[in-house]
Amino acid sequence: MSMAGAGAVYDRGYRPYDGPRGRRGAATFALYKASIRRALGLRRTWRQKFAPFVLLGIVTIPAVVNVGIGYVTRDRLDNKIEIITYRNYVGVSSALLLFVALVAPDVMCPDRRQKVLPLMFARPLTGVDYVIAKVGAIGSILFAFSFLPQVVLFVGNMLVSDSAGKYFTGHLDILWRVPVTVLMLAAFYAVVGVAIGSLTDRRIVAGSAVIGLLLITSIASSVMVGEIVNGHGSIAALVNVLSLPLYLRDLVFLGHIDPTSPLAGVSNGGLFAVATYVAILLVGVGVLLQRYRWVEH
Amino acid sequence: MVVLASPLLRIDRLTKRYPGVTALDGLTIELPRGLVGLVGANGAGKTTMFRMLLGISKPTEGSIEVCGIDVAKDPIGVRSRLGYMPEHDCLPLDQTAADVVSTFGELSGLPARAARQRASDILDLVGLDEARFRPIGGFSTGMRQRTKLAQALVGDPELVLLDEPTAGLDPLGREEMLALVARLGTFGISVIMATHLLDDVQQVCDHVVMIDAGRLVVSGGTDSLLERTGLVTVDVGVRGDELVAGLVLVGLAAVAEDGLVEVTVEGNHQMDLLRDVIAERGLPLYRLSTRLTSLDEVFLRLAGTQS
Repeated sequence: MSMAGAGAVYDRGYRPYDGPRGRRGAATFALYKASIRRALGLRRTWRQKFAPFVLLGIVTIPAVVNVGIGYVTRDRLDNKIEIITYRNYVGVSSALLLFVALVAPDVMCPDRRQKVLPLMFARPLTGVDYVIAKVGAIGSILFAFSFLPQVVLFVGNMLVSDSAGKYFTGHLDILWRVPVTVLMLAAFYAVVGVAIGSLTDRRIVAGSAVIGLLLITSIASSVMVGEIVNGHGSIAALVNVLSLPLYLRDLVFLGHIDPTSPLAGVSNGGLFAVATYVAILLVGVGVLLQRYRWVEH
Repeated sequence: MVVLASPLLRIDRLTKRYPGVTALDGLTIELPRGLVGLVGANGAGKTTMFRMLLGISKPTEGSIEVCGIDVAKDPIGVRSRLGYMPEHDCLPLDQTAADVVSTFGELSGLPARAARQRASDILDLVGLDEARFRPIGGFSTGMRQRTKLAQALVGDPELVLLDEPTAGLDPLGREEMLALVARLGTFGISVIMATHLLDDVQQVCDHVVMIDAGRLVVSGGTDSLLERTGLVTVDVGVRGDELVAGLVLVGLAAVAEDGLVEVTVEGNHQMDLLRDVIAERGLPLYRLSTRLTSLDEVFLRLAGTQS
C-alpha cells in the first residue's frame, strides 16, 4: 500500500534554462547592481549598512536644519535666514570622500584578494565592462548621496517660502547647476577612489591611501599657496585633490573662480582647474584600464 | 530533437609561449561532446588551456573553436556558453551561497528573477539546499567545492570546465563530487575535467586527453586506452590457495594476492581450463574479470615514449 501523504523526497534533477539571456550589457549591469549592494551593505550585516547610511544622514543634516529654520522663521523675518546655499552644499558633499575611502576599497579589493576575478571574467564581461560597473556603482552612490540632500533643501525651501511657484521659477538655474556639479564631484571621487582601490588587494591599504592622498595634497597645497593676499592665490591650489572639483563648481555656479578661494587671481585659473580635473580623471581611468587589461590579452 | 553537429572543441596547433616558457606547444585536438578528462602533471598546461578556452588568454599561435564558435573572434559568445570552476579558492567568503550563485547567474546574462530561481535549484542539485543562506566563510572544503560547481552551472552552460574539482576533498567528498560530475553528462552538459588524478578520469570520463609539458600525449576514448593485460582476476573467497594449486597442476601461472587470484591467460583454451578447474573443485565464484591497464600506466608509458 502506498504511503501517500507521508512525505517523500524528490530529486528535481536539472532544468535547462531557455528564457531570455543578455550579453555584455546585462553582465555589466548585474555587476553594477552587485557592487551597489555591497557598497551600501545590502544583504549584509547591519554593521556594513551602518557607515553609508549614517554618512547619508550626516550630509543631509544641514538641509534639514536650513529648512527647519526657514519654517520656524517664515512669518517673522523679511530676509530669510539661509545657513547654507546650494553652492556651499556641494562643498559639504566633498566630505563624501571619506565614504569613498571606506567603500571603494571594499568594492574593489576583495575581488582580487579572494580571487573572484577569474570567475567574473569567465562570464560575458570584459575588463572595460568591469571598470564601468565599479566606477558606475561608486559614482552613482556618491551622486545620490550628494544630490538627495540638495533635493531635500530645494523642496524644503520651496515649501517654506511664501510662494512655492515663485520659488521654483526663481531658482530654475539650480535645477541644472546642482546636478552638473554633483555629477562632476561624484565622477571625480569615484574614479580616484576606485583607481586607488584597484592597486592593492588590501582594503586598509587602499583606504589609507585615499585618506593620505586627501591629507597630503591638502596640506601640501596650503603650504605652497601660503596666505592669500589681496585676493591673489596660487596655481599650487590645484594640488589639493579634495577641493579640485569645487573650483569647477564655482565655474558652474559663479562663472568664475571664487575670489576668496586659494586659486583666486590666478590668470586662467578656471582653465587650469578644468585641465587638472580632466587630467586626473584620465590618469585614474588609464590606471583602471591598465589594471584589467589582462582580460583582453 | 536538437542535433549538435559541431564538435565540443576543436583546437588547431595551439601554442602559448611566455618569456622563457612554452606552456602549450602545437596542440591539435578535436573532442566530442560528453565527459572529457584533461590529464597531465602539475604545470602540464591544463589551466593555461582553460584560460585560452575562456578567451581570457590569447594563444601565441593556433586557433580554438568551442561549440562551433571561434574563441578569437567571439570570446564573449564563447563565455556565454561556458561554465568555469577554478582550482583555487575563488568565492567571496562574506556572502551567502545563494547570493553568490544568484549574482553569477545574473553575470551569465540571466534576468535577476531567473537567476535567483536557478541559484536555488542548482544549490539543491549540488546538495547545498539547507546551507544556501549561510556565509561561505563557514563552509567546509567540500561545501565550497560544491558552491564553485553551482556557480559554474547556474548559467545553464553547454560546456563546463572543471579544474581539479576533487582537490582537497576527503574520499567521501571526492566520490560525491565525481557522482555530481557524472550526472552532468546525463543532463546534456559537456564537461572538460582537468586533473592529475587519473582514477577520477577513469571513473567518470568517456574521453581522455593527456598532455605533458604542453604537448599532446594521447587523445581518445577512455575504453580504447584501457588495454587488456592478459591477466584475469578471480575471487573465490577464502579458497584462493586451492584454486592456485589446481591451476598450477593444469599448467597455468597463478598467484593469490589480497584474497584474489591473478591468472595469466592466453587464448580461449586457457580460459576454458580456468573455468574447468573452478567447476571441478566446486569453488564458489564471486568474481571473474579481465584486468585492464590503468590510465596511470597508459600515461606513464606514452609520456615516457615521447620524452
